[in-house]
Order: sequence, then C-alpha cells, then structure tokens
Amino acid sequence: MMKIVVCVKAVPDPQQACNIRIDPVTKTLMRCEVPLVLNPLDKNAMQAALDLKEQFDAHITALSMGPPDAEGIVRECLALGADQGILLSDRAFAGADAYATAYTLATAIAKIGPVHVIFCGMASSDGSTEWVGPEIASFLDLPVVTMVEEIVECRSLQWKVKASLAHGYRLMQVQLPAVFTVTRELNTPRALVFSGIIKARKKSIVRWGIDDLGVPAEAVGLKGSPTIVSKLTTTQSKREVNILTGTREEKATQLLQKLVDSGVV
Amino acid sequence: MIDFTFTEEQEMFRKAAREFAEIQVAPKVAEMEETGEVCDEVVKALGEAEMMALTIPEEYGGLGLGYTARLIALEEISKVSVGTAMMLQVFALGIEPIIKFGTEEQKKKYLPALAKGKRLASTAVTEATGGSDPTGIRTSYRKEGNDYILNGRKCFITNSHIADTITTLAKDDENPKAFSTFILEKGMEGFKPTHKEHKLGMRGCNTGELAIENCRVPAKNLVGGEGKGMRVALGAIGDVGRGGMVGCALGLQAACLEASVTFANERILYGKPISNLQAIQNKLAQMKIDLEAGRLLGYRAAAIQDKGGRSSNEFAVAKYFTTEAAQKAAKMALDIHGGYGCMEEYAVSRYLRDSFVLGPSAGTSDIMKVIIARWVLS
Amino acid sequence: MKNDYGPVWVIVEQRDCRIRSVSLQLMGQAQKLAAGLNTTVEAVLFGNLMEHHVQPLFAAGADRVFLGSNPQLAFYEPEIYVRAMVRLAQEHEPEIILLGSTAMGRELAPLVAARLQTGLTAHCIDLVLDENNILEQRIPAYGGLLSIICPQKRPQMATIAKGVFPIPEPDPNRSGEIIPVAVPEDMSPRLQTLEVVHEIPDEIPLESAAIVIAGGAGAGDPDGWRQIADLADALNAALGCTRPVVDEGWAPLESMIGQSGRMVSPELYIGVGLSGEQQHMVGITGAKVMVAINNDAKSPVFDQVDYGVVDDCREFVPVLIEKIKAYQKNQVTC
Repeated sequence: MMKIVVCVKAVPDPQQACNIRIDPVTKTLMRCEVPLVLNPLDKNAMQAALDLKEQFDAHITALSMGPPDAEGIVRECLALGADQGILLSDRAFAGADAYATAYTLATAIAKIGPVHVIFCGMASSDGSTEWVGPEIASFLDLPVVTMVEEIVECRSLQWKVKASLAHGYRLMQVQLPAVFTVTRELNTPRALVFSGIIKARKKSIVRWGIDDLGVPAEAVGLKGSPTIVSKLTTTQSKREVNILTGTREEKATQLLQKLVDSGVV
Repeated sequence: MIDFTFTEEQEMFRKAAREFAEIQVAPKVAEMEETGEVCDEVVKALGEAEMMALTIPEEYGGLGLGYTARLIALEEISKVSVGTAMMLQVFALGIEPIIKFGTEEQKKKYLPALAKGKRLASTAVTEATGGSDPTGIRTSYRKEGNDYILNGRKCFITNSHIADTITTLAKDDENPKAFSTFILEKGMEGFKPTHKEHKLGMRGCNTGELAIENCRVPAKNLVGGEGKGMRVALGAIGDVGRGGMVGCALGLQAACLEASVTFANERILYGKPISNLQAIQNKLAQMKIDLEAGRLLGYRAAAIQDKGGRSSNEFAVAKYFTTEAAQKAAKMALDIHGGYGCMEEYAVSRYLRDSFVLGPSAGTSDIMKVIIARWVLS
Repeated sequence: MKNDYGPVWVIVEQRDCRIRSVSLQLMGQAQKLAAGLNTTVEAVLFGNLMEHHVQPLFAAGADRVFLGSNPQLAFYEPEIYVRAMVRLAQEHEPEIILLGSTAMGRELAPLVAARLQTGLTAHCIDLVLDENNILEQRIPAYGGLLSIICPQKRPQMATIAKGVFPIPEPDPNRSGEIIPVAVPEDMSPRLQTLEVVHEIPDEIPLESAAIVIAGGAGAGDPDGWRQIADLADALNAALGCTRPVVDEGWAPLESMIGQSGRMVSPELYIGVGLSGEQQHMVGITGAKVMVAINNDAKSPVFDQVDYGVVDDCREFVPVLIEKIKAYQKNQVTC
C-alpha cells in the first residue's frame, strides 16, 4: 500500500488577510478576526494524493502543525478524502520559523513510520517562504522536487515529474520515498462534498504534543527557530494621492488626460 | 440550555454549499437570467454535488442529513441564485411524500435515482381553482380495474418541464371529500407538460402547466393509500415546502445585505463612501436585524423538524417573516444603490424581482397569517 | 588584524555559461555588506566549461570565485549541488550566503540551510547590518516591513528576487582568485534531471515593459480578468497580477508581481481591482506614475498611488478602454 503524507497549514483567509495590518502608532499587529482556512496550494497537495488514491491502493495522512483551531482544516482534509489526520499542537511549538516547523513535521513523519510520498503545497499564502517542503526532505534525508506541475510517471517506485521553471520546466526522475512541493498547475482541487463530510465522522484526528514526538523543547517552536523577527516598521508612501471624482465617464476621461499629460501614454 | 451554535460539521456543510454555489452556479446566473430557461449544467452539478440526496435516507442512496443541513444548503445556494435554490427546494418537495408516505417498493424504485439527480422530482397540487385552498382542485381520479384514470390540469408547477417524478394530488371523481396522491412519471400516456410560464423573477427555475388527460396510473403509484392524499400533500408542503422557502428567503436577505455593504463602501458622495451616512447605516442595520431574526426562526423550526416534531406552524412564522424581510431587504438594497439599482447589470435588480416570487410560493403571507392565527387560537 | 567575520557568499547562477543578472545584482549587495564587516566577497559558481566566463563576477566585486566545473554540473543538479555546497560552506564558514529567488535558488537555499542547521529568509527586499553587525533581512508584511535576523546560527542566509537591487557598475580592472572545487561527477541514484526545457515567453516581459497593468481579485471572474487583459492590450502594456489571481487560476504564476514574484519598474503602473497588499506593492520599484482602480475607497492602495479611481473595475475598465481607443484613433488621424 502506498503511504502518503500531505502537509497542510491553516492560514488566515487570504481573501480577508488585508484586514491584518500594523498599527502605525503601537507598531503591533492589528488582528481582526480573520478565520483560518486551508492554505490554497495545500488543496492541490491534497488533490495530488487523492488522485493517486484513485489509481492505487493508498493511505493518506493529513499532517498539520498549528494552534488547536487548526483542527478544522485537518477535518476538512478528512472530508476531502484523507484517511487520518494528525495535528501537532503544543504551546512549545508556537513561534516556529520554517526551520523549526520543518523539523517538527519531519519528526512527526518519522514517527508515522515508512511513507512513500510526502506532498506539500509549494508555499503558504501567509508566510510565502517555500522552505518547509525542502527542509522536511533535508531532515528526513529524502530527495525533493519543488514546484511540481505534472506527475508524468508514477507506476513504479521511480517517478518522473515536471517541475516548473519561470518559462519552461525540468523533467526529473526521482526514487521514492520522496518529497514533492506542488504548484496550482498540477491539478484542479475538487470541492468539498456533503458525503465526504459525513464519511469524515468515522475518521479520527490524532493530536500530538512535544512529549509524543520526544523532542527537546529547545529544538521546536520559537526556541528551535534560527530566525526571529527583530523589528516591525510601517512604511509611508511618498506620493501625493489624487482621487478622481465624477461620473464613470468623467473619471475615465480625466484619468486618460492625466496619463497623457504626464507623458506615459 | 439551548445551543444556538452550528456544529463544526454544519459549518463545513455551509462551506461546501457556498463553494458549490460560487463555483458551479454563479457563472450560469447571467445565462439563466437572459434565457429564463433551466440551465442543464446547473442541474447536473446539483446532482453531482449530492444536493438532491440531502434528506433521502442512506439506505436509499441518500445522505440522511435532515433539515438543518438542507436549510444551510438552500441558504447558501440562494445567496447566489434564488432560482436555483427554488428548483432544488421543489426537488425535495417532490421527494418528501415518497420518503414519508411511500411504500418500500416505491422507495426502492424512485429514491436512489432521485438522490443521484438521475431523476428529478416535483409536486403538483396547485390548479387554477385551488392552491392555497387545495380542496378546490378539480383534477380527478376514478378507479378502473387495478388502475386509476386521472384527468385535470395543474398550473404554476415548479420543475413542470424537467421533472421525471411528480407527486400529484387529485380528487375522487365520486367523492369530493376524498383526495389521493399519485406518482406521475414523465412519458406516461395522457400526461404532459404544456405551457411554460415567464416569471417576474427566479428565472432559470422552470414553472409551467401540466395537462392530465385520461392518464392511466397503476395502483402501485398511489402514495399513502387511497383517500389519504391531502395528508400526504400538506405534510410535504407544510414542513418541507415552507422550510425550503425560508432557505430561499434567507439567502436572498444575505445577498441583499452583502451587495449593499459592498456598494456603500464603494460609492463616494460628498467625498466619502456613503457607508458613512447614517441614513444608509440605518438600512444596513435593519437588514442585519431581519437576517439574524430570520435565521433564528428558520433554524429553530428546522431543529424541531430534525427532532421529528411538528414544525409546520413554526415554519409558517419563519416563512412569513423571512419572505417579507427579503422583500424589504431587496427594496432597501435598491434604495442604497440609487440609480444603479435600476440597471440590470447590478444584481440588486434581480434580487428585487426574485423577492416578489418568494411570497406566493408555498403559500402567500396572508395564508401564513391564517395558519398562524389558527395555531394561536387552537 | 584578525578578521572576526567569515566571507560574504553569493551562490551564482548561470545559464548557457552566462552569469544571470540576479547573481550580479547580489554581488553589489555582498560588496556593501562585506565592506561593513571588513571581510571578503566570494562567489560560488557551478557549471561546465565556465573558466572563461567568471570575469563579470570579479568586475562586480568578487574577491574569490569557487568554481566547480564539469559536464555533470552544466545544469542545476540538486543532489550534487547541495552536497558540494554544504561541504564548501562547512569548510570556509561564510558569514552570509545570498541566493537569487529563482527556481534553483528557491530549492537550493532551504536544502543547504537545513543541512547547515541555520536560518533562511525568503524574498528579502532590503539587506542591512544592524548595530551588532547582524544582517537585518527585511521583508514586506502587513502593510509594513518585518526585519528578520538570525542571531546565533551561521551562515545567515537569504534569497532575493531579481530586480530588487541594481547591477553594480562593472569594474573591468578588478580581478581575483579562481579556486577550483572538486565536485564528484557521479549522479545521484535517487534524483536526476532528465531534461531542462526553456520556453520563450510570447508576451511582453514585465521587467522591461514601459507600462505594466496589474490585476487583482477584484476582476471577480475570468470575464473580468479578460477585460483587464484587454486594457493591457489597448495600452500595449505587460500584464501582471497578484497572488489571489494566481490562486484563482486566471493568470500564471510567472506573471505575479511582488515579493515572491516579479519586480517591475515601469513608466506607468496601473493596479486594477487590487487592494494594495504590501507583498504586491513592493514589486513595483520606482514607477514614474502609479494609478489604482479599485472599488473599496478604504483599501490601502489609494495611499500609494498618484491617481486613484474608486469604482468597480468591471464597470470602469471597459469605459476606460473605449476612451483610450478613441484617443488613439484621434492620434492616428490627426
């Protein structure tokens, strides 16, 4: 049986993320209540696993690290078709950078046992670092292909995948077990369906804390993170803003005139 | 104490329904408005998304989810397209008599295909001479051997031209006090849809006439026993029909509020967005109050229904309140939009038209008050 | 005097033996940082037959170039590159390693960082030394800038997108030392590159376009997006986008402008249906004229442009296209 782990992350809803801003006075984050959702690219990672499950005898574990609230997105993965969910949630894990996150996830994957394929979204919509997938591979000493846009051949333990380049691709041959980070070009994630949600009732979410992983507190969370945020500064625009008014027609005419006057059109 | 929160699973149902509506239905709304015709892709997508299976028991290929989940789905779909929600609500209305009163044989025959959306359902009660007062109908049946012969004409029937399975109310030819409900099937000799209506709103949801001329219906298509037809028809309409309209109305209320908030933040007057004006805020607040109150009424009634209780009176209250509130919300949304609201490019003009179709469907507001008064006085 | 700090490294990228511009841009930053730390600038370059192509690195400020050159290194080969670079870094203990945010850099950087057990900052838009000579790696976030530091572990590692920094004025008289690096020629048994295909983009490249139109989620749907594309056509502009547009699938990832995408500096920038998220806005550096069209008067984009139009872009853009076409017609006939 093909064992697949999909690493997923709960992120503030990207459609409402612009509500999180730095307070220009206190220089702290003003967090409006932005709900947590499944990171968009992780949906492609889930779909990649589900597509395999349709072809082969496969078992999918959705793995996430996050606050207790992140259980919702693990449950969503179960509803999408994952067989089991694991949430790594512990105060000790808080404040982790990409390195400590990858270390913690890699430790959990090692605890799960032998796996063949690990899928991650190429990046998260909030952090956008792209580091977690390849760093998991490093900690587990597995090969990795980032930015996978097509799985060309997956019938044996030696896969062929296309990895995206800015214009073009790399065709890679990789021996399983391996880590793949996926782009949105890889597939079209299927939507949640009611029957999937019902089936998820019978599936369990395991919660692991630091004791379950058996790692020292210094290795995880903020303490295990080589990087820290040292400062938060606001930026000010240097431009004089001119908001055009009038009817739609008038605004369009004015705008065109301004662009012609400034010599850019 | 009473728990007013949705479960995590119910929230996920809402998310699934919302994604479905936004991805599958929203792109087809313009086409449905333009043609007024049912969009085949939408019907197919509803089936694939298991929307017809919600209330059908699992042993017959359904999801067995009950009425709160159904209300959630209808609300989210109606937010995008009231016409689509109406179509779906009447599928359930046609299915319900078979679930509640059907024989084991009927359930096995019809429900699995209905759950998958391979067959579509409707129900036919209303006629020119009787809708709110179903005893006024003239469609009649008489027994002939093991069959029944039906004659009559049904009007304002939702899904008339697309339904394959239509639970139809008829009156005993010889006894004007006896009614029976029959499952009519598309293609039966003597039974066909005729005239298609062009409605003020809910375009894309098909409404029309059914002509029944010497239609021979086998006894195995009788639902709930001979003479029990009124109980069957009203049982479906009272709970499921009214409940469905509440879903349609809540979705429309939410859509009106959302469109108004967006517009009020965009529209600049006196150098500021009009959302800064208290006159506008007042309307937004009123829409929010009505939406919250309507949800409490609707979901409470659905909770009673899910517990197996009699919920038709509670749904009468909710139906009255939410459909009236949806009309008011659409009017306020139009007011907030000013001249733009009169332009068909803006969804609020559709909301207004749709809102006027909510009232008469499954019993007018006046009839709801009659029912509520009867409840109070009983 | 003993130097307290190790060298500043740039992992250089080549294609067909030509040094890529982002690597040269990073050499300028490496020079600046090395001067602050009183240390040297070193470049690490892998390729095939590269011996005669390293001069641009010296001209851009490199004191030494670690050169790995053999046929297996002609293309980026992850497992070999990582193994060799990790060994090299362990041997020479650089203080800082900079990489371009290219397909290679984005994969190589975390693989090297994790094995060196150090931190890594993604897509920086500014690099400065703080009062303790620690590298402040600045990234845009939440309408401001976050400074990220790696206080304990070394090297300090960062990736930077193409176009964030200028290419330093080359000094053709500078020269330096080439240190050959022995890189094993055996292929990795578990990961191999079978083929690399570069396609030639048929649209106007964002980086060199005089006019850039960027569309955001406000496009609403593929039809709305096509209108924005039509506007770009009407102005003969390059078309870029924000992340939500990529997520929706209306435009490819390659056209994303911002911190983790493309950096543009056009004469005219028009942001359509976007709110002005910092991650996107930092991708527009030094545009002469900036315009925003968005429906939400409160969105931060209207604090960052010269001209703002508060309107639904789906309604406004067609009107604007009409005006532009009418204007262009007049220009031709007059």
